[in-house]
Amino acid sequence: MLNPRQMSRALIVGHKDLLEETIETLHKMNLFHIEDYVEDDSGLKIGKPFGNVDSISKTLVKIRSIASYLGVKNEATEKQKVSVVSNKLDSMLEELDKEVSERTDRKNALETRLKEIESLKKDLLPFVGIPLDLDLYRGYDSLAVFAGVVKGNIETEISDITGSYELFTDSKSGTIVLFIPINYKEEISKALAEFDYRELKVPNQKGIPAEIVSMIDAEKASIIKQIEGIDADIAKLKDNYKDFILASNEMLSIEAAKCEAPLHIATSESTFFIEGWVPSDSFKNVENAISKATMNRVFITELEIEPKQEPVVPVDYNNPKIVRPFQEIMNLYARPRYKELDPTTLIFITFPLFYGMILGDIGYALILMSLAIVIKKIIKSDAVKPLMDILISCQIYTLVFGILYGEFLGFPLASVVSHGEVEAGLIPGFNTIELFASPFGGEMITFPIHRTHLVMTMIVFTALIGVIHINFGYILGFINENRKHGFSAALLEKGSWMVIELGILLGILGYFEVLPSPIVYAGVIVFLAGFLMLLKGEGIKGPVELPSLLSNSLSYTRLIAVGLSSIYIASTVNMIAFEMIWPEKIGVMTVFAIFIFIFGHALNTVLSIIAPGLHALRLQYVEFFNKFYEGGGRKYDPFGYIRKYTEE
Amino acid sequence: MAVESAAVMDPAGLKAIGAGLAVGLTGIASGIAEKDIGSAAVGAMAENEALFGKGLILTVIPETIVIFGLVVALLIS
Repeated sequence: MLNPRQMSRALIVGHKDLLEETIETLHKMNLFHIEDYVEDDSGLKIGKPFGNVDSISKTLVKIRSIASYLGVKNEATEKQKVSVVSNKLDSMLEELDKEVSERTDRKNALETRLKEIESLKKDLLPFVGIPLDLDLYRGYDSLAVFAGVVKGNIETEISDITGSYELFTDSKSGTIVLFIPINYKEEISKALAEFDYRELKVPNQKGIPAEIVSMIDAEKASIIKQIEGIDADIAKLKDNYKDFILASNEMLSIEAAKCEAPLHIATSESTFFIEGWVPSDSFKNVENAISKATMNRVFITELEIEPKQEPVVPVDYNNPKIVRPFQEIMNLYARPRYKELDPTTLIFITFPLFYGMILGDIGYALILMSLAIVIKKIIKSDAVKPLMDILISCQIYTLVFGILYGEFLGFPLASVVSHGEVEAGLIPGFNTIELFASPFGGEMITFPIHRTHLVMTMIVFTALIGVIHINFGYILGFINENRKHGFSAALLEKGSWMVIELGILLGILGYFEVLPSPIVYAGVIVFLAGFLMLLKGEGIKGPVELPSLLSNSLSYTRLIAVGLSSIYIASTVNMIAFEMIWPEKIGVMTVFAIFIFIFGHALNTVLSIIAPGLHALRLQYVEFFNKFYEGGGRKYDPFGYIRKYTEE
Repeated sequence: MAVESAAVMDPAGLKAIGAGLAVGLTGIASGIAEKDIGSAAVGAMAENEALFGKGLILTVIPETIVIFGLVVALLIS
């Protein structure tokens, strides 16, 4: 549970004739992590892939491109027999390819045409208001044509220059079309420049612009309709061929993986050598299966793991099912190394605990839990499921702490006496019970625990949780270091911290005269001893890190601080909705108050996932992991495949 | 008499100002510290998504500053 799965290093040697059977067996077992062979001067060569790997890859590429074009997603379908899929593969793929490419060609052609007419329409639009055939705009020897946009009325200016002109204007768009004798061209263009004249491109078309535009609109509608038809066809194709695509993709991927397997292993003239890793408890199974498949003609043996190989041993988690979702949190940071403790189980305990301590509200717990359950039911994705599992376990703790704190959506459940006044709780008749006086800040510990009235006590309490959690980290660090570099290194590097803490503790107890005061000197001596140990263990880096002891434990006060900020947001929403807006009589303002209430709490619900989640995560990653965790293990990735869409 | 009471500020008001300053200033400080780390972390993640965990950790390290501010504010009030 606290250690990754035990691995064995294995070597398989046999005659090349038996390679195919061996690979087939290994693939079926899905247990053997093949170590890639790198060519060196031993004379062994990387193996050659089997058979027609080229044509398989080509088909695979084709299927995958069709799948991505059709938007086929990985979803559960009925499993199909491999023999059936492989029989119909070629004919069906050809048919599918033909149907798809025919439609894509047609769609592309239509889309190009659509773009063409859209740009033509853009060019035509300024001329729509001028009922003149476009053919009349060009082809004159003795006339100059100005077609463009101006600001203001230009007619008087032009009539000052020449009396023989023809002017068409469209006041709405500011377009003008002006015909004048060519010898006035220079003069007119100067005059037009005063009116911010901007020339327009005259589309190379025949006919009245307004008519052409309405024709274009009709064509556009028909093209869009045709494209929609093709899209519907493609969707239908996707539905018809989805199962086939998924099954054949899986089948060919498996084929390709098997054919390419020799590229990872060492071969000589007539033998092959497969080196790799097997979980120790499965070694016997692999051995038996290979012996059986090759009638004892292939040799498999377990090799010793040399210390320098420790970093390359693939790491597989070995956790109970309930803890497994939390492996995602580990993977986000780094997979543990082979010889390291796997802290997933500890995270399973402390992450939701911290989350719950921060949030601690019955209302939010119920909302988020139902949300997580619904999402888990609807979305069947392997990536989402563990996250929802984590969220659900967090909400269980939130519920427990919510009951302990007596909070529901920011309202206190029990009535509480504050500054001599009684504030009513949500449940009538449920009064806060005073238990005993807290040693800090003159506060009273009660049930339910009102966090807002117990700030001092909670700050001390959470810092204390920090000290415990950090020391737990040092103990784990001690175990890790002991495994890696021996007892003395562990004592100097990690044990020294605990000695230092002991010194500080003795000093404090002596100073405040909880213990006889000479204990202070003992504390100082213990502290110095620890300091020297740390200096020897970590070098100068150790003493530099010393203040982190304080800042790290104070960092845990966020367990109360972030929680309080969440309560204040919730109670502010409640106050705005029910004390400031809520009217005497039910009316429009009632609706408004309810809207504020729902919107405010929806916002706080989202914040309730992010803030406590990130802070609880950070306490694990920064404060806890720094004490013992290194990470960076290789992922255990066995050669094989878990079939989802096909069966043999 | 009236002049005197106006000159002396209510201690509760001063406390509230102090608490506000503690949270506000440390919040700004965290923001300044986090902005550079955050942008660098996002850049690193764009290159290699596996760096998300490390990026997150580095980004949230300065957040302790504002938590301390919040704690101080709670102690003041």
